Amino acid sequence: MSNYFNTLPLREQLNQLGVCDFMDSAEFLDGVNVLKGKKLVIVGCGAQGLNQGLNLRDSGLDVSYTLRKEAIEGKRDSWKNATENNFTVGTYEELIPTADVVINLTPDKQHTAVVTAIMPLMKKGATLLYSHGFNIVEEGMQIRKDITVIMVAPKCPGSEVRAEYVRGFGVPTLIAVHPENDPEGKGLAQAKAYCVGTGGHRAGVLKSSFVAEVKSDLMGEQTILCGLLQTGSILSFDKMVEKGIDAGYASKLVQYGVEVITEALKHGGVTGMMDRLSNPAKVKAFEISEELKNIMRPLFQKHQDDIMSGEFSSTMMADWAAGDKNLLAWRAATGETAFEKTPAGDVKIAEQEYFDNYTLMVAFVRAGVELAFETMVQAGIKPESAYYESLHETPLIANTIARKKLFEMNRVISDTAEYGCYLFDQACKPLLADFMTKVDTDLVGKNFNEGKDGGVDNRTLIAINEALRTHEVEVIGTKLRKAMTAMKSIKTA
Amino acid sequence: MSQPVVHIANLNLKYQSKPVLQDLNWTINRYENWLLCGTSGSGKTSLAKAIAGVAHSYGNIKIEFNAQSNLPATVYYVANWFQFKDLEGQSNFYYQQRYNKQSTETTATVKAELESFGKKHALQFNELDSILAALGFSELKHSTLIQLSSGEHKKLQLVKAIWLKPQVLILDLPYNGLDTLSRQNLNALLEEISEAGTQLILISNDDELPSCINRFAVIKEGQLVEISADERTGNEFDTLDQPVPAFLAETMVTSSSAEIIKMIDVNISYGEKRVLKNINWEVKAGEKWVLQGHNGSGKSTLLSLICGDHPQAYANNFHLFGNKRGSGESIWEIKKRIGLISPELHWYFDPSATVFQSIVSGFYDSSGLFCDPGYSKKVQTDELISYFGLDEFKNTLMNELPLGKQRLALLARTIVKNPELLILDEPCQGLDQQQTKHFNRLVDGLCKNGTTLIYVGHFESQLPDCIEKRILLENGAVKSVENILESVEIAESVENVENFEY
Repeated sequence: MSNYFNTLPLREQLNQLGVCDFMDSAEFLDGVNVLKGKKLVIVGCGAQGLNQGLNLRDSGLDVSYTLRKEAIEGKRDSWKNATENNFTVGTYEELIPTADVVINLTPDKQHTAVVTAIMPLMKKGATLLYSHGFNIVEEGMQIRKDITVIMVAPKCPGSEVRAEYVRGFGVPTLIAVHPENDPEGKGLAQAKAYCVGTGGHRAGVLKSSFVAEVKSDLMGEQTILCGLLQTGSILSFDKMVEKGIDAGYASKLVQYGVEVITEALKHGGVTGMMDRLSNPAKVKAFEISEELKNIMRPLFQKHQDDIMSGEFSSTMMADWAAGDKNLLAWRAATGETAFEKTPAGDVKIAEQEYFDNYTLMVAFVRAGVELAFETMVQAGIKPESAYYESLHETPLIANTIARKKLFEMNRVISDTAEYGCYLFDQACKPLLADFMTKVDTDLVGKNFNEGKDGGVDNRTLIAINEALRTHEVEVIGTKLRKAMTAMKSIKTA
Repeated sequence: MSQPVVHIANLNLKYQSKPVLQDLNWTINRYENWLLCGTSGSGKTSLAKAIAGVAHSYGNIKIEFNAQSNLPATVYYVANWFQFKDLEGQSNFYYQQRYNKQSTETTATVKAELESFGKKHALQFNELDSILAALGFSELKHSTLIQLSSGEHKKLQLVKAIWLKPQVLILDLPYNGLDTLSRQNLNALLEEISEAGTQLILISNDDELPSCINRFAVIKEGQLVEISADERTGNEFDTLDQPVPAFLAETMVTSSSAEIIKMIDVNISYGEKRVLKNINWEVKAGEKWVLQGHNGSGKSTLLSLICGDHPQAYANNFHLFGNKRGSGESIWEIKKRIGLISPELHWYFDPSATVFQSIVSGFYDSSGLFCDPGYSKKVQTDELISYFGLDEFKNTLMNELPLGKQRLALLARTIVKNPELLILDEPCQGLDQQQTKHFNRLVDGLCKNGTTLIYVGHFESQLPDCIEKRILLENGAVKSVENILESVEIAESVENVENFEY
């Protein structure tokens, strides 16, 4: 198997990277009809598998689960998840041949083995559904020509997919049809119906391609979403401790701060987040985020280049082959950082205090979101996709840090994201060493406004506001957020 | 001899930016046990929180603890609702979560919760079992917090308070969700601890109080006003005391099937624990039922099956609105025929929705609004907002309102689409007696148009008049199904009330 993207001529690469269409709700009026009465068989019953299945069944569809023989015989968690909810569970041999749609919700790493095992069992003209395109795009998996290959990727953890559905909403979802495998032209209609079945159509659906999804997803998760949040959190914590701020306070500020700050981002974009600062703090945050963008731009570009060339995926797959040697070592090292080992102190931090005392993180987030967005768009990814994979997902990842710090974040995200996150973090920390020597506690740990008179130069402020508001991530973000009216607040501790 | 225990002078408190308490004075002497009653939103909860030191107030609150007493020198406040978080410190729950086993393991068990409470306050663990037994809670030790019903949450709060036996105990809506027997047992326990030296402040509009309650008060215009025991049922103006809004009253409800519910040997269990046992039940279109049973008898689980909220519905044999459950219908097709309110729906409702959004979301069966409802739905919603007296709160967020007002908004949400089946699970929790009476009269009015009703209420005196059938659950099984014979007479008297000029 060879990297699918690299087999394409340039014009076709650009063509597939540029698939991006925010779908109108009128496109979903046919509901789940296309899948009604069809047999949906889900491979794997973890958090995504179980919760998507519960939603699909509650939408009136026929859902069952297939697991490996060992998982069934050993009555593993996946088997319990499915049977305790009264789903039919069977082996590949029992269920795959009956399936009209096979939904592969196993981890990336298992895709090649799973798809190789199930493909010969699939009936002619069936559909294979992925929720991530890595296997098709990076590993170049070839699917039998009679099979339709589609992707439906809810942009939230499985538990949220369920919670939002039963509340009558859904989570934003990305769909795609693989152009090499749409023999009957039914892929898009099925993907849309699946979206309705999981509730995604109520929260905004982006039509993308396998290529655009993979290349933008990898970029987002490695840089702003996981990488920079990890680097920024660790550097901030270490700086506070170095400057004599109480470690318990520092730990709490970092653990929850990123969630509170990005909650403002979620509702009002970079502008909304920056507007939570006082004017002097905003001016300062703008200046240092400009500096951060200049320092980090080459690193963001390198990540995008390695993703496009396939360098990243081949390096990571080599680590898979080596039994995840690097991944496991880096994961262990993250667990040993001082931030991870210092419990959050028993102090109350008011919501506004998270902004005033953690201006540095506001600057990190602005720099990271804008850089990731700019770099993706320069690489041929459409602004809508770039928005989803940068700004939109940042609060979701921040939420995992608030729950249980970086260890939790790295546990929740895929191994692929985790691997890329560590690569970024290792390269980014030395890049920022000089910058961090200039940072003092007014930017992290203490109230920035303390001892300042609050005055700013009118023209400076106007220029900054103008620069923030007219950035392309804000323009597209305003449009997309309006379309996704189901903005729900994340509860903070 | 009656030195003051709590002395409050010139207390001022604002809720959001509105003044709630204004120069309030109150002296509580030893051996006094007070009842604080009256309309919702008058400031009872705010006052309680101020005394307990959990709300910010201005003025003087002095508490003289008894140095000779061996009871903890503390004021303990039992909130009107049980607040809890999952093991990761989040409280982003949804009301259907307790029916799905995989989603319940994220919260602590009752046992762990009680152990940490006991350790924190250095309590004697040997005293716990008798309290648990008295409130019928012993078997729930291994349940997780999210699995408990609202009545069980209330009991857990009460168990803690009674175990602690503080010198001053404030109980905010202690009877909410409790069945008749539990209320009696609670009163006995309260009398016991009062005897032993705990002074009580109860916030409640219920009738059956512990006999040790000897002072009564309401809050009027931000001030405490003492009343006599007989003055408790206030006659405040109440907008619910009006004819049913025309868009509801004048529309006949057409039932989708002559048989709304038909259950055949329905069983629900979680592992070894059987929650519903061989339930057989038929509800025909237009029938008005009351569903009763002790706390934990399976009422909520039974209703969750009807509302499409229980994943085990697919393993059972029952029909809803004429279709076999699991024959290709979606839960949204079921929900659009049902108007539901329950303590759990209220508790887990989107707190960041406005009153308007909450009510209009009843058209879509969502917790909060996700689309533009269009003109006619907005107009109908506005009409109900006025009917429920919520005009000034139309754009207020739910979590900025007192419980009673939130409840009114959710009652409006329940009826806004004039559904063919109304499921009212303790609908009047948190309302005062007057509001309860009026709401039940509204239910009577609505139900005249062919609506099918299932009403859960522990007290006969607090049921709508239209109820004609009763199903009684006990330990997960149907104990009895019966016709309520008086229904004919009651229906006639309703007619008379309707013609009465106010």
